[in-house]
Amino acid sequence: MVATTQETAASPAVRARARRQRDEELLVWPDLVFVEFIAAVVFTLSMTALSILINAPLLDRANAGVTPNPSKAPWYFLNLQELLLHMHPALAGVIVPTVALIALGAIPYFDRSHDGQGEWLSTPRAKLNLILGAVIGTVGTLLLIVWDSSKHVVLWARLTGNDETDWPTKLNWLRNARALQDEINWPSEITKIPFGEKVLRTDLLGLPRIDLNLNLPALLVEQILPVTLMIGLPLLMSLVLHKRGIARTKRDHMIAQFSGFIAVYVVLTIIGTAFRGQGMELLWPQDVVPPVS
Amino acid sequence: MASTERPEGRSLGDRVYDMLFHNYVWQSIFRSGYPNTPRNQMLVVATNVFLHLHPTRIHRTHVKITHTYCLGGLSFFLFLGLTITGVLLMFYYVPSVERAYEDILALETDVRFGILMRNMHRWMAHGMVIMVLLHMMRVFYTGAYKPPREFNWVVGVVLLVLTLLLSFTGYLLPWDQLAFWAITVGTNMVGSAPILGEPNRFALIGGFVVGPAALIRFYTLHVIGLPLLAAIFMAVHFWRIRRDGGLARPL
Ligand code: HEM
Repeated sequence: MVATTQETAASPAVRARARRQRDEELLVWPDLVFVEFIAAVVFTLSMTALSILINAPLLDRANAGVTPNPSKAPWYFLNLQELLLHMHPALAGVIVPTVALIALGAIPYFDRSHDGQGEWLSTPRAKLNLILGAVIGTVGTLLLIVWDSSKHVVLWARLTGNDETDWPTKLNWLRNARALQDEINWPSEITKIPFGEKVLRTDLLGLPRIDLNLNLPALLVEQILPVTLMIGLPLLMSLVLHKRGIARTKRDHMIAQFSGFIAVYVVLTIIGTAFRGQGMELLWPQDVVPPVS
Repeated sequence: MASTERPEGRSLGDRVYDMLFHNYVWQSIFRSGYPNTPRNQMLVVATNVFLHLHPTRIHRTHVKITHTYCLGGLSFFLFLGLTITGVLLMFYYVPSVERAYEDILALETDVRFGILMRNMHRWMAHGMVIMVLLHMMRVFYTGAYKPPREFNWVVGVVLLVLTLLLSFTGYLLPWDQLAFWAITVGTNMVGSAPILGEPNRFALIGGFVVGPAALIRFYTLHVIGLPLLAAIFMAVHFWRIRRDGGLARPL
């Protein structure tokens, strides 16, 4: 460690600094142990109180024949279940969480500078980046959910006094993500690309022929678009923050990105928990009724 | 020891004190004297197996509650609380499809403090997920993942995953509709992965649908497999905090 090089050449200044450091130290017993003890006591009491006041839920006995509507995962996975409504299940259920965890673990290998460690929001622009990241993450996620649930159509109808069905037919492709596939007259050459017949020629290897037709518009809606948005929007945010001189160091960018990520995670969790009713329809919490079987 | 430092003519209080803390039995348990002098206070931390997770001295800023909000410590505390209530729950619970649900019902009606045990276990489990997430945020915003603590951050991410898995495996055990369908939905997500999804799902729940095999797998993971792993990673986590020179602070 650093200390070994310092000890050999212990100048008075170095010794003075070491003494100052000592002065700023406290004994673990009693100073820290006391705080820990109080925290533990307060925590035990509040957990006991909570458990006396609120009972853990217990529904009917498990029955594979009766599917509740909606069936929801535990709350900390409802963010993924929410993603499931908007993209290919392999993306939402496996690829996105895996990539997110790897990215999370990689943070310290990306931002390697020592600057500002051990201090709350140390850079001068840290707070601003935190707020902007969180706000952009929240608003962006909400807008995308509103669009994919066609709630902008409802809003339009409310504002103009029209009926939802009055939405111009020409703009039907803007109703939600899936409409990009269904409401546009895609030529059949690209909705049915004979991948199995032309590209993956397994029959040449003496194997059975694969019946695989690629539907490009479906691929677009389920995979290309979500991936582009999930990678592109954060990048765009960093680019804009950089150009505006708001995020100047790697740490600034990390703070904006991390705050955005946490905001998205929280928004998706809340939407999935409180705003999804039967058939996973987007509703106001007061309209969400308990699952029916 | 300390008696040599004392003047003659000791008060009653001193004599009671000596009787309590300077007797043969007490000193066989606690080798250092009562922690009322700086020397003994450091010794007590250094020689006690539980307290020696700590250094003997710590920087001023780290004692301030607003530096860590005790979030990591409370995560650990929740883990301990969950272990205690969990062991008590195991007395009454049999992980079979025939008995699981009835055992939970019986726990709530026939067992003294059974419902309190179950509630505490449940709320602490939710609390731990929240606490670990908040702890991660505190570590991030204080820049405490920076060198030399990179690897401890990775250990932390592993602990986060283990915490989620512990909670998820426990969710199935009451074997009610909530448990059954939440795990069905959750494991279906695993199954949607390309190529490896289906085999993984099959391995996880021991079949094509959530049934007896899934219950016993989740139970085993929940009560021994994952807690053991979590304990090992926590040991590494705490060890690394000490090795990395205590909590992060400005250079
Ligand atoms: C079961 C879960 C966990 C437990 C029991 C735990 C426990 C602790 C404790 C007791 C500390 C001491 C300081 C404090 O209380 O804040 C600490 C520090 C730390 N934890 Fe965790 N932790 C857990 C999960 C995590 C996670 C998810 C991360 C990050 C992804 C993480 C990263 C760190 C780092 C880098 C430090 C050093 C902080 C510093 O130097 O200021 N831990 N942990």
